[in-house]
Amino acid sequence: MMKALAMEFYKTRRRRVWAIVAALIFVQLLWGIWAARNMDTRDLQQGWMFCLYQFPALNSIMMPVIAAVVASRLSDVEHKGQALKLLETVVSPGRLFGAKFLCGTLYMLAVVVLQLLVIVFMGYAKGFEGGVPFDKLLYYLLFTTAVNLTILLLQQVLSLLFVNQMVSFSVGLIGGLAGLFSMFLPQDLGRFLLWGYYGVLMLVRMDWDRDTRIVDYYYVPADWTGFIILAVMFCTIYMIGRTLFVRKEM
Amino acid sequence: MSDIITTSGLCKQYGKVLRVKDLDLSVPEGVVYGFLGPNGAGKSTTMKMILGLVKPTAGTIDVFGRRVNSRSRLAILKEVGSLIESPSYYGHLTGGENLKIISTLKGVPEKDIDRVLQIVRLENQKGKKVGHYSMGMKQRLGLACALLGDPKLLILDEPTNGLDPSGIQEMRELICLLPQQYGMTVMVSSHLLSEIDQLATNVGIISKGELVFQDSLPTLHEKSGRSIAVRTLNNEAAAKVFGEQEISCRIEKDCLLLPELADKELAGYISLLFERHIGVVRIEERRKSLEDIFLELTGTAVSL
Repeated sequence: MMKALAMEFYKTRRRRVWAIVAALIFVQLLWGIWAARNMDTRDLQQGWMFCLYQFPALNSIMMPVIAAVVASRLSDVEHKGQALKLLETVVSPGRLFGAKFLCGTLYMLAVVVLQLLVIVFMGYAKGFEGGVPFDKLLYYLLFTTAVNLTILLLQQVLSLLFVNQMVSFSVGLIGGLAGLFSMFLPQDLGRFLLWGYYGVLMLVRMDWDRDTRIVDYYYVPADWTGFIILAVMFCTIYMIGRTLFVRKEM
Repeated sequence: MSDIITTSGLCKQYGKVLRVKDLDLSVPEGVVYGFLGPNGAGKSTTMKMILGLVKPTAGTIDVFGRRVNSRSRLAILKEVGSLIESPSYYGHLTGGENLKIISTLKGVPEKDIDRVLQIVRLENQKGKKVGHYSMGMKQRLGLACALLGDPKLLILDEPTNGLDPSGIQEMRELICLLPQQYGMTVMVSSHLLSEIDQLATNVGIISKGELVFQDSLPTLHEKSGRSIAVRTLNNEAAAKVFGEQEISCRIEKDCLLLPELADKELAGYISLLFERHIGVVRIEERRKSLEDIFLELTGTAVSL
């Protein structure tokens, strides 16, 4: 498996997959700087919660697109040069599927880790009140990665099964918009939509007072039921997707 | 000579159409086996089934005496090189990088890359992106990939497709070289009879999914029996004369076709025609061409 994984990274040479990751982090950093430019004392008191609320909202629209692009970049190389019919004579399709997913996983994991660094950087730079909430950030890392990987997996299955990458791009774009929209609906509705899980698994909720126009953030317990449903979705997509890919005839 | 590939009752059905029907192939060791058939006859499907890229609907495949199935497939394919239809490549990587991917996955030492590049005469193009290669160069790179690890068996599906005449000649020379210099068995498919005639030592002809001929090339040539064409001024009367002499003959266009006869015997019959006042205007020896045999076997016009 390590050889197959190493070759997946080797194949992405000159494909600049990392550039997509860098671009996303750069945009989020710019947004962070812009959003935090006029923070008053009250805002600084809730700074960490502000980040843990706003970043999942940003993720719900940006991450599905990033997952679609990463999965497509990794799978498209095989379609373009009709490489699968050669590759599958030297490596089993199941292993190839796994290696490709692991490769994409590392890119998506890098996105979340860099995002956490941006949050911590913002916290120190603006002087958010209180210490770094490491436990909350760890939950954020776990939940965001889990949603990212489930979406990446779906995108990889589509990108490998359909030569035309517009199919997977369309799913990524529509899913992202639906995910963002679901954040404004009752939470239980979000559970029916994979892309809605950035909102379902959020650790912070917002209370907006219509009269005073004051926003209050507060922590909520982690939604482990939602996490388990997501894990079931992941396993289902993995089993179905892998089987379809392995059975696909060249 | 043992068989490297044997298939028994091999079938492949797509929807309701049986694309390959009860195929019993035998590819002996150390030969260039030409797999000939018109477009859509089932050549690529058969080769893909041998490589495990397509699952047979029925039948068995043995390669190196081992049954090919999902468990044994990759272990068997370690000794097999393949080039199926168009070459597989990563256009954004160089020729050397493409070969590195396959050699690493195949577990072949990296130094083998230079060896195979030399065989296909691409050593000077190693650092060039494959996207910038010509079709002939891509095809040669595909052959280089197949040669990695010095396999005992090469499966090449229409390797000259899309090449210009000089590229075709070069590829043919390369393929002919492999059994002699490296002791490989080569199974090469083509819809071009002339190509198989130049390349192969053994031939299998497939038509509409069925194997209609399988033997050595000289045996195929032997099928092209000779006949004698006699043109007279009255073919019907001449046919009657030959009938009286118990010589089977048939009228074809403006000639009488006789079986091969000894010179003396033929001279006697021609004298007889003169005695009956039937003017003989032409006598020629005819040989059934390979194209005629192919047409007879497949019922499809041959591509030259």
